[in-house]
Amino acid sequence: MTLAAERWPAYVEPGARDSRAVVRPDSIAGALVVWRIELTKLSGMIQIRAMVLLSIIGPFLVLGFLNLQSATPGDTPFGQWVHAIGLAIPMTILGFGAQWILPAITGVVAGDIYSSEDHYGTWKTILTRSRTRGELFAGKFLAAVTWAVGIVLLLTVTDLIAGLVAGREPVVGLGGQLVPAGHATWLVAASYLSQLAPMLGFTALAALLSVATRNSIAGIGGTVVIAVLFQIVTLANMPAWAQQVLLSTPFMAWHGFWGAPPYYGPFLWGLVTCAAWFAVCTLAAWLIFRRRTIGAA
Amino acid sequence: MTTGTGTRPAAVMRRLRLPVLAAIAAVAALSATGCSSSSNLTPDRLQASIGSTFANLYVLQQSYMGNPPVRAAALGSRASCQKGGTLDVTQEGSGQWLCEITYLPSGPQYPVIAKYNVDVQTDGCYAADGDGPASVNGSPTVTGPGYRQLNNPLALIDGCFDTT
Amino acid sequence: MTGVTAAVEVRGVTKWFGETTALDAVDLTVSPGDVHGLLGPNGAGKTTLLSAMFGLVLPDEGTLRLFGRTRAEAGAQWLDGVGGFVETPRFYPYLSGRRNLAVLAGLDGGDAATLIDDALKRAGLTGPVSRRKVRGYSLGMRQRLGLAAAMLRRPRLLILDEPANGMDPAGIRDLRTALRRLARDGVTVVISSHDMAQIEEICDSATILSEGKVLAAGRLDALRASAPDPVWRMRTSDDPGTLALAAPLSEVKAASHDDGGLVVHAAKEDMDAFVLALGKADIAVRGLDLDRTPLEALFFQLTGETKAEVNP
Repeated sequence: MTLAAERWPAYVEPGARDSRAVVRPDSIAGALVVWRIELTKLSGMIQIRAMVLLSIIGPFLVLGFLNLQSATPGDTPFGQWVHAIGLAIPMTILGFGAQWILPAITGVVAGDIYSSEDHYGTWKTILTRSRTRGELFAGKFLAAVTWAVGIVLLLTVTDLIAGLVAGREPVVGLGGQLVPAGHATWLVAASYLSQLAPMLGFTALAALLSVATRNSIAGIGGTVVIAVLFQIVTLANMPAWAQQVLLSTPFMAWHGFWGAPPYYGPFLWGLVTCAAWFAVCTLAAWLIFRRRTIGAA
Repeated sequence: MTTGTGTRPAAVMRRLRLPVLAAIAAVAALSATGCSSSSNLTPDRLQASIGSTFANLYVLQQSYMGNPPVRAAALGSRASCQKGGTLDVTQEGSGQWLCEITYLPSGPQYPVIAKYNVDVQTDGCYAADGDGPASVNGSPTVTGPGYRQLNNPLALIDGCFDTT
Repeated sequence: MTGVTAAVEVRGVTKWFGETTALDAVDLTVSPGDVHGLLGPNGAGKTTLLSAMFGLVLPDEGTLRLFGRTRAEAGAQWLDGVGGFVETPRFYPYLSGRRNLAVLAGLDGGDAATLIDDALKRAGLTGPVSRRKVRGYSLGMRQRLGLAAAMLRRPRLLILDEPANGMDPAGIRDLRTALRRLARDGVTVVISSHDMAQIEEICDSATILSEGKVLAAGRLDALRASAPDPVWRMRTSDDPGTLALAAPLSEVKAASHDDGGLVVHAAKEDMDAFVLALGKADIAVRGLDLDRTPLEALFFQLTGETKAEVNP
């Protein structure tokens, strides 16, 4: 047949190849190559497209739903104002759902991005090309982070637009003060963007689960379960510093933005908490991965 | 058959060393911060927050009703809060609190006391349900000019205070 | 041999998995341009050793050099010019064969993407097959895609784990010719197999591995010289007579086989002489087959395997 028909492509010394085309053995450039390929793979996945679509139309569905019925969500700050103040709607969505939905959204990608290779048995395929373990690890991690950041930005924009469409009334803050619509818009945006820090913390946690368990169900489901566990644990009375250690607490740090006067303690401490979780989880995932045996032992 | 058995357990111990050290360091750091064991959900913080929030919302309520504008600072509102339940001794932490807010809408001679059942959560946010007087926080709506029904800002107070 | 950098140099490589020793102080050298066979029964450590060459398994002791450089020295260029696969090649089942190669070429960088069409053609995966999702591929097609993926790396060292697995006889012949041609063009080839006959047909040198240890290694000629006699199956018109004739001969050892006929251990020349002697003794030879080549005999002698275990 054909395997022997012609010569195979001949080996060429690295220096002799077109230097423009070859990715130099520099780890950052190599990681970016992997990052680009991973994003391409992600963009083709049905669950990614579904979540993006839902993020775009979801807030407007909530808007329509609230228009149809007069009951008000009682258990969340700003809930009582959703029928009177437009920007109360994105704030209610944020207060109600962020700490549940956001970990799940990042878990779907980060909890799967390493373990999917274990599932398909393709680690040995991609680890025997011209990218090192470090570049593959970093590129995939960057792709998961890109997704997490991107979806938070998208939700910020769509929820804010939905709120402004509902109305541009001044907002009643969490100190009872009346916040003019212009300033309130900035506060809504800041509240949403403050979710980036805990989102990145959960991204690293999901990635660690993905690497450690080599199982996408454990990676994704584990992230959701841990998020739920945080919500349960936080209900218990404990010292303030213990509350701060939980990765779920920074999701609520935006309360201080709406205080009269505003306070930023929880937000700043939240940054420390998220940075610590992020660093520990990422490092642990790398240490597990860097010398792991690939393939049947 | 197995050669070098002396080094194999050493390799395993080497790999365990880092996570164990990290865990010890984390616990040590936490204990060393010398932070108080308080949840900071104290009467002081709750009283300060609900007192000033009430005042601001009172101003809003009066403007909804079309009444002459009031200044929050002039109200002199002071809150006194107690964690509910006769069996509860510790005045701290999340749960059901009772707050009485004394304020002076018509001058120092005529103090008014507004009562609230306050549900305090562990994140420092609270939902205060109005418990009298009926004219202040009894009704979920207030009537504005032109008989418009508006949300009564004092019926349910949503507020938060800093726990850090 | 001195002064020429070995393509693959393994020195004292040991790997444990928990309590099991998968590789025990393994030494192996492959000269550039050689076709080297890694031979051993299942569980001998062949896959572990090949995995170590790819950096999929990191040895606990010893050094492993490809073209004179260890993994630590070479860094990102460790697998430059090295291609192949360990166990059955695996791909993304939700992508087509072509898209899989595009992903791998993307990881490689350089001009790898331009080689995809040729690689698919050479591997016999052209047309609609290349656009079909890999989840619909047979084992043989996956092997071919694995070879195409290896071609994209412009290999000067090709490492293949049981490459004939799942291929039809025509494909195996094609592969054999391709490997010999690659060797002629200067590419070093390392293949593993549990079947000595396959190794004998393709390789110039071999290493015999069993339970993680190297039992024998060297050029096939040298191994043959140290091998025991080949084994023959024989049917004659007078089996007892044949046995009686062979009894006093030291260079011919004959015995009855349980399934009928005779089994004879003798070198080729001695066998020729024996057949002629049988004819002179009016005993006709009704059937004579080579059951085991000298190297197969050596292999089984070293690994203590019976033929039934290895060739079910």
